[in-house]
Amino acid sequence: MLSKKRMHLPNNTHDVPPALDAEEAARAAHERDKSLTKHHFEPHEHPCVRIEHLVKTFDGETQVLTDVNLTVWPGEVVCVLGPSGSGKSTMLRCINLLETPTAGHILIEDKEITGHLLQAEVNKLRQNLGMVFQSFNLFPHLTAKGNVMIGQTKVLKKSKEEAEAEALKQLEAVGLLDRADYKPAQLSGGQQQRVAIARAVAMHPDIILFDEPTSALDPELVRGVLDVMRRLAEHGGMTMIVVTHEMGFAREVADRVVFMEGGVVVEQGTPEQVFDNPQHKRTAEFLGSID
Amino acid sequence: MDKTSIRMGARSVVAAFVLALAFALACALPSGAFALTTGSATAKPNEDGGSSVIGGLPTRLTWEATADKGDSVESVELVLPEGGSFDSSTTKITTLKGLERSKVEGEATPQGNKLTVKFSEPLVDGYLIRLEITDMHFPSEGGSVVVGGTYVSNGETKQLQDSAPIETIPNTLVQGIVNWLDHQPWVQAWNSNQFLGMFFKPQLIVTSLFSLLPGWFVCLGIVIASYPFAVVLGLVFALMKVSRFKLLRAIAIVYINVLRGTPLFLQIYIVFFGLPMMNINIDNVILGIIVMAVNSSAYLAEIFRAGIESIPAGQYEAASSLGMGHLQTMVNIILPQTVRRVIPTVTSDFITAFKDTSLLSSVGVMELMMFSKNLTSITGNMTPYVTAGIFYLIVTLPLIKVVTVIEKRIARSERGSGPRPKAKTAVAKEEVADAV
Ligand SMILES: Nc1ncnc2c1ncn2[C@@H]1O[C@H](COP(=O)(O)OP(=O)(O)O)[C@@H](O)[C@H]1O
Ligand SMILES: [Mg+2]
Repeated sequence: MLSKKRMHLPNNTHDVPPALDAEEAARAAHERDKSLTKHHFEPHEHPCVRIEHLVKTFDGETQVLTDVNLTVWPGEVVCVLGPSGSGKSTMLRCINLLETPTAGHILIEDKEITGHLLQAEVNKLRQNLGMVFQSFNLFPHLTAKGNVMIGQTKVLKKSKEEAEAEALKQLEAVGLLDRADYKPAQLSGGQQQRVAIARAVAMHPDIILFDEPTSALDPELVRGVLDVMRRLAEHGGMTMIVVTHEMGFAREVADRVVFMEGGVVVEQGTPEQVFDNPQHKRTAEFLGSID
Repeated sequence: MDKTSIRMGARSVVAAFVLALAFALACALPSGAFALTTGSATAKPNEDGGSSVIGGLPTRLTWEATADKGDSVESVELVLPEGGSFDSSTTKITTLKGLERSKVEGEATPQGNKLTVKFSEPLVDGYLIRLEITDMHFPSEGGSVVVGGTYVSNGETKQLQDSAPIETIPNTLVQGIVNWLDHQPWVQAWNSNQFLGMFFKPQLIVTSLFSLLPGWFVCLGIVIASYPFAVVLGLVFALMKVSRFKLLRAIAIVYINVLRGTPLFLQIYIVFFGLPMMNINIDNVILGIIVMAVNSSAYLAEIFRAGIESIPAGQYEAASSLGMGHLQTMVNIILPQTVRRVIPTVTSDFITAFKDTSLLSSVGVMELMMFSKNLTSITGNMTPYVTAGIFYLIVTLPLIKVVTVIEKRIARSERGSGPRPKAKTAVAKEEVADAV
């Protein structure tokens, strides 16, 4: 797990065209996306995430992502829906290189991250990409405050005082200031996930990836986490890519909803477009089965 | 302290814990030209004293002197240092003329630390005086005791030549207890039971507790000195074994498997007999520390490796997604958690390592096992071994308890109901209860 992580594409055997020129791509993406999102475009805005023809194969055989194309704009909230096994997590994990893409291109702020990257460049990239996991993944040996501080002190090299002040501020934002000195094991699942969000936000990344952040929670604890995410979307101006099954949340908060199945993006649009008037039969079926 | 002196110390049993070398030595003194020459002064070891003379307890002192030219010895007065006593002693006086017993008789009068012996007729050149004084006491503080005094020759009081020093050991609490035990009827009854007397002889338990102490310290010293090295080495090899570099992994695997796959006994033999053959001579105890450290490191490496691998992948991913590098992740996230997890296993390994120091007795390291073996061979009694067992248990039982307690605590905290920090408000407490 530690070993064998090589940050480059083995080869491009898959017949994928080269990444588009930045200006050209931005124009094309804007053209394509402007009717599909509630995002307010700035003039000459460039997407912050561009996924082109992304392919991911496990063990050289199971093709999990066949051809994923997606652009995400700065400050946009994108909710990704889809049945289990459709490759949502894999796509998310490719974006911060927890998985190495097999082929295709991912560009973060117009910089290609697929291809040869030094470990240092990967670390740098990840500072800018927060991630919130389904299973929280808090560090059990650290307190809530310690969890929020450690990235700041060890990666951003902030002083302990600065990091602590920031940690307390972020814990307050998620309503857990009074739990700052608790260890994860002493917190409920919902509280743990809110600490995990505070931990990601404290790094001030441009983009935060959420992988089913409420799926592991008891129903009564879901609301608190969603509230925190909603506040982040509305007041934080944070770019968020959220894999979720919370339709209510997606409808209310998302600028765009993306439906994935079988390793491709099947359909995308504003929440109203996708929920009220799905264009694909599979989307409609999926939404029907959820409700 | 060199090896031989330790060994001799052990043989002299009780002496071992006080001085490590306590002997009743009698050295021939150069004979003076014109005086009563103190030939020798020796003391017989007391009962229960092993081979040592213990102060404050009844002992027999043998004192000899020869009369020289011009002497006409009428009386002799022996003087012990302050604290010594001839009171209640009995003295057997022998005078020899050449090799034959002479008919000169004497009369001894003990008084405190002085003993006056008056002879029936003056002893002249060629006479030998032998005084065997039983039930006398040396000073209970122990130390080198010199028997001095005066003699009267031709009506003139002269200084006696000091005797060679007699090494005595302090009459400690132990000797007091042993002495007391000797006279207890229940102890005599206890010891008359063959089993109890052979394995649990009270006097020997008391003596052993004190005389095995240095061996116990050697065991503790070896394991305490070796373990930090073992931990560091173990960690290095554990990290090598989970490394992404094949060569490092291969080296670690060979190291760990060879050391774990062969008996410690064999490793001890190879090192202790092999190094001297290559003209490398290292102190036994240091060598013991090295062997124990290397051997434990292989076991610790496996413990650490298992600990590292038991940390869920999510921890690496969470650290990575914060932008931490491999080393940062290991140092800040993985190892602190590993340490917590392996503490019980490492403690168990420490217990094993502590017990395994006993194997070093096979190559002459003076540790607990060796001390008890020596004491057993002197006394012909198993009690010293039993006492050694007590010494091992003094260390291992509390550690076994520690392991159990930590294991319980870990199990509890993994269930998520670990001890909570003091809640700041009563409300906060309720909320947690609700949330959980
Ligand atoms: N490390 C892996 N090795 C092999 N197969 C994997 C791995 N990770 C995911 N998969 C497979 O990829 C498919 C998609 O997984 P995932 O991206 O987690 O889907 P989703 O998040 O949409 O439920 C699943 O069939 C899963 O079994
Ligand atoms: Mg998933």
